[in-house]
Amino acid sequence: MVRSALGHKTAQIGRGPRLGADYVPAATVVLGSLIAVLPIVSARGWWPDAGLLMLIGWRLLRADAWPAWWAAPLGFANDLITGTPIGLSVAVWSAVMIAMDVLDRRTMWRDYWIEWAIACVIVGLAEFAQWRIAAIMGASVPLSMSAGPSILVSVLCFPIAAYIAARLDRWRLGR
Amino acid sequence: MAASAGPRPGWSRRAQYSLFFSFLAVVGGLLAGLIMLILSLVAPQSYAVVRGAALDVTAPISGALSEVTTTVTGLVGGAGDYWNAANQNGQLKRERAALMRRMVEARAILEENQQLKAALQLRERTEQAVAAGRVVGSSFESPRRFAVISVGSSDGVKIGMPVRAPEGLIGRVIESGMLASRVLLVTDRANIVPARILRGGQPVISTGRGDGTIDVRPLEVGKNPFKPGDVIITSGTGGLYPPLVPIAKVIRLDDDGAIAVPIADPARVSFAIVVPPYEPAALEVASRPDSGTL
Repeated sequence: MVRSALGHKTAQIGRGPRLGADYVPAATVVLGSLIAVLPIVSARGWWPDAGLLMLIGWRLLRADAWPAWWAAPLGFANDLITGTPIGLSVAVWSAVMIAMDVLDRRTMWRDYWIEWAIACVIVGLAEFAQWRIAAIMGASVPLSMSAGPSILVSVLCFPIAAYIAARLDRWRLGR
Repeated sequence: MAASAGPRPGWSRRAQYSLFFSFLAVVGGLLAGLIMLILSLVAPQSYAVVRGAALDVTAPISGALSEVTTTVTGLVGGAGDYWNAANQNGQLKRERAALMRRMVEARAILEENQQLKAALQLRERTEQAVAAGRVVGSSFESPRRFAVISVGSSDGVKIGMPVRAPEGLIGRVIESGMLASRVLLVTDRANIVPARILRGGQPVISTGRGDGTIDVRPLEVGKNPFKPGDVIITSGTGGLYPPLVPIAKVIRLDDDGAIAVPIADPARVSFAIVVPPYEPAALEVASRPDSGTL
């Protein structure tokens, strides 16, 4: 039997979840939304939707990162911070949580590439919804010009969000 | 990796119920989101207060961060200026002499202009700024093109007021908090500005393209009147935007119009000046949510 107290430095004694570990995932989603507060004036709007990427990153990593209904208030905060029409992120993010619950029931296993593909589909649909709402509000930009590059950039940024989520998950649980 | 925690949390009734209720809650969230979205499509005014409050909270952060970045870029730029000070000095002297000559000419033209206007009995409106602030941020990821400026309703800014920089037109205010406002840029698809070509004065319509450029089309169908390099200025038609403010410069022609780039790049302008609407009556029309054309 190995005694923890006499073991080497990686022993698990005295280590556990950090204070407020339950709130770290949601806080990083809000931080992702807050990237929009940076004083950068973008002419094209091709920046990734960082809040949504963090949401997907956490949800793909864990089903219990937060209670599913938290997606609504998180989306509301995202709407207020980024200036998208109020209700768009609330609806889209809640729909993402429901879709992921359904997906969890249907899939037997997942690997890195499947998760990336899921993120691609979700980001694409979210951008399409945003583009459609903008068109209804009087800004009918061609899809290839605004949503296309934006989807590509977001999809390429997803591994970064997934990496941040995975590292923070280990940190918050003290592993 | 195995799929995350399955649908059934075990035999505990309590855990099963709590899972079921959390599912109900997220469906409720989805429905609430859809209702809010429909409300913001049909009656955007209903969110004016909460959006203004959100702007007031986030804009000061952007403002403080933008101070830091301008200071850093200023330091770097300032050091660069010292590097070739002698060269720059000579160049500036030459430019100054040239500008002096141009200024004398301009003053002569101005005086002549005033005499002619007096002869025509034109009513000249003095253009007074309501407030001047900085552009502190913008929409990042969206087909819409908005910017955030650091002046709000406490400075007298009202929804619908035109915003310009010394260089040219930026857009008009669509949301205003106490301390900050959101501006619909001229590059947004929903911002339609009545304009004319500086050379020749033919009336055109300027519409944003959502990607940082502007689409300009002539009002009358016929030969394409644009040439690369043409400057597009506001015409004052509609009464919202003051006339003779530069909007954009033509860079490329297409079949019956042209693509132009804005002269006042919101990323680079030092100040955004909020001006009252040219005709005060136009403000009520412009503050309506669905008024793209003005």
